[in-house]
Amino acid sequence: MLRYTLRRLGMLGVTLLVASVLIFLITAVLPGDIGRIILGPFAEESAVRALNESLGLNDPLVWRYFDWIAGVLQGDWGQSMSLNTPVLPLALERFSRSLALAALAVAMLLPLAIGAGVAAGRRPGGPLDRVLSVVGLGLGAMPEFVTGVLLIVVLGLGLDWFPVQATTPADGSVWAVIHGLMLPALCLVLLLFAYLFRMTRSGMLSALEADYTRTARLKGLPERLVLRRHVLRNALLPTVTVMGAQLGWLVGGLVVVESLFRYPGIGSLLHNAATNKDIPLLAGCTLLVTAVFSLANLAADLVYALLNPRVRDALAD
Amino acid sequence: METIDRRRRRIMQSLGIAGAATATGTWPMMGRAQNPSHGGLLRVALPLADNLEPVTMSGGGTIAIVQQVAEYLVWAEDDLSLRPVLATEWSSEQGARVWNFTLRQGVRFHDGREMTSADVVASFQRMVQPDSGSAGAAQLDFLQPQNVTADGPYGVRFELDRPVGAFPYYTHIYNAVILPADYAGDFANNPVGTGPFKLDEFRPQEGARLSRNNDYWNDPLPYLDALELDFYDGSQPQVIAMQGGEADAMLSAGYIDIRPLFEQDNVRMVNQPTSTHAQVTMRTDQPPFNDVRVRQAVALAVDRVNAMDTLLGGNATIGNDHPIAPIYPVDVSLTQREQDLEQARGLLAEAGYDDGFPIDLHVGRLAELPQYAEMLQQMLSQIGIRVSLKVEPLNVYYGHWTDVKFGVTDWASRATPGQFLNAAFRGGVDWNAPKWTNDRFDQLLDAFESEADLAERKRLAEALAAILQDEVPAVIGYFKDAFRPVNTRVRDLPGNMSNFLDLTRTWVT
Repeated sequence: MLRYTLRRLGMLGVTLLVASVLIFLITAVLPGDIGRIILGPFAEESAVRALNESLGLNDPLVWRYFDWIAGVLQGDWGQSMSLNTPVLPLALERFSRSLALAALAVAMLLPLAIGAGVAAGRRPGGPLDRVLSVVGLGLGAMPEFVTGVLLIVVLGLGLDWFPVQATTPADGSVWAVIHGLMLPALCLVLLLFAYLFRMTRSGMLSALEADYTRTARLKGLPERLVLRRHVLRNALLPTVTVMGAQLGWLVGGLVVVESLFRYPGIGSLLHNAATNKDIPLLAGCTLLVTAVFSLANLAADLVYALLNPRVRDALAD
Repeated sequence: METIDRRRRRIMQSLGIAGAATATGTWPMMGRAQNPSHGGLLRVALPLADNLEPVTMSGGGTIAIVQQVAEYLVWAEDDLSLRPVLATEWSSEQGARVWNFTLRQGVRFHDGREMTSADVVASFQRMVQPDSGSAGAAQLDFLQPQNVTADGPYGVRFELDRPVGAFPYYTHIYNAVILPADYAGDFANNPVGTGPFKLDEFRPQEGARLSRNNDYWNDPLPYLDALELDFYDGSQPQVIAMQGGEADAMLSAGYIDIRPLFEQDNVRMVNQPTSTHAQVTMRTDQPPFNDVRVRQAVALAVDRVNAMDTLLGGNATIGNDHPIAPIYPVDVSLTQREQDLEQARGLLAEAGYDDGFPIDLHVGRLAELPQYAEMLQQMLSQIGIRVSLKVEPLNVYYGHWTDVKFGVTDWASRATPGQFLNAAFRGGVDWNAPKWTNDRFDQLLDAFESEADLAERKRLAEALAAILQDEVPAVIGYFKDAFRPVNTRVRDLPGNMSNFLDLTRTWVT
């Protein structure tokens, strides 16, 4: 298990390296000229060329890449070109906010979706199952800018329960932070609920019908124990994998939700870095998000192993 | 209807009350005049912008932040009168080729040092030096750095390459704020100006916090204690913030985006006629637009009134294919070009395009322009011109806007018509996207630029406009009004035709 974890962490390093190469290659073909983007459409062409030169953009891409990666390895993530500020503190700050939002969303989503999935899976076709399936699917099918606006209009503007902007006061208590983040977190919960709910539900269905469940019941185990030891353990396996994959998106992919709620997370920073062709910023943010994505998947696999003795044994050597 | 509207505006402008009354909102409540009260916080929603360097900034969001911290020599009011700010007087000699500005005495920078001519000279030199990267350098192409000189501690002399009668207005272009002579960049960490507010904190892509400058030269202004100027990515979050009372004002807004706010009781719309317009440029050096009849046909196919109603709810003034908007004192009155499909088809046939032709129309994703381009596509199809739309991200469009055969370009409001005429239509200049040259136009423009007498300027402006209208290097269909949604608890927050932000006299109840 330890060796497996170490090996996976080693793979993470390779993933990050590959990701960084890809980012540099992709930005090379992105449209637009960074000097022009910084100075605006009305600056003179000669000035744009001079700025590009001073930013080192006329050096070969390979050269710039090695320059950058050498810096990163020494802890210097470079200077954002469009924002004229060091990348690392900015990216880390935005990243921590994204983590906070993702954590709140997951904290609400997991018990809700799993609880609902388990309840619905125990009585498939029942009224609870039907209602949850339809509602969940309907919410999941709506894009986040629709659910987000609905939440804002009803809970923010109408009932005035939550602020319409996801503000996180620096000196606020935990409750103040949660209160401020409630609307975007709810928006994410509604978006992902259907997916996780259906995963759990179908996992429950197949586990309930499985031979080992029948055996457990037949040997006279109380129903609670059957559910906990035999059904849930198996039913949750696909859910865990899916959650691992969603975490990366929850942290790094929330461009729409972040701009709708004016929450300065890393998703909008990434998005702007890409439109501005700001390579150091883009590469730095992507590294962070890739790391989260990989770590979340690793964590999911480890949880999977904990739940599934077959995998655990396979990893033990 | 249109002419009545125009006349109304012109009358109001000549009375000097259009900007003051409609903008401040004092008009509807003249009966219960209130005295401004000190204190309070104002939160303004700004469009996202990245570059905070005063010399090179070009986004409305960062310009609005810098304008609270640093000031100009003069401020062009909405009736186009000039308010003295850091300069108290100005005069010209040698037929407007040399300009002398007298500076206000006793003005202190935020670090306590007095502002003198050395700072003004350095600020202008910084902006107009080659490769400064400033849009100001392009606009002040008639000013060489070495020709800005100090004349004693409170006098500055500008020797221009050619006479420019409207030069004081050029000192109010957005990059021309006065910074200390030893300013060396990094405004976020060295935000030193003479302005009514001090920059306490700037967070990239989030916004700025500012507090009152207690040593402001124009005591007892400003009224507000603090400002929060926050960036928003897109207009929808701004509208929501206005509805939720989490923003007190929006810097600028497009009509389509802010329609929900028109019905909002606690929001007042500050509405300002401007010279902002879209130029539908046609490359005059390449077929099919090298034939003037084709360009005229395009202009005749455009239903301007329909476009203004659909795109802007009628909040615009009709354009006549020249950039001399009715807001200018030299307002010209040529016969209005109207849609005439019959004549347009005839011109196309004369030019040898009986069956029309296919063409790409490039447009950046900005405000109502993509929808405008769609309307153009539909209108031009009626005379056989088959337009395929190329709607592009702004940075892509601005990467090739002066090269495309057929493009729609946004031109933000300027304080003088000469700024448009010089930058967009003088032969051979960088931003002459149609690549159009006309020697008589250039000569008239020289005369117009150096002329100080209003009647003569009017005559020259009319001649310039007539050439543009006849030759149609670009279709100019309308000049759109600027909107500034403001919460009703905010008083004396003026609109601005360039979307500049002046909060010196603003107060909150």
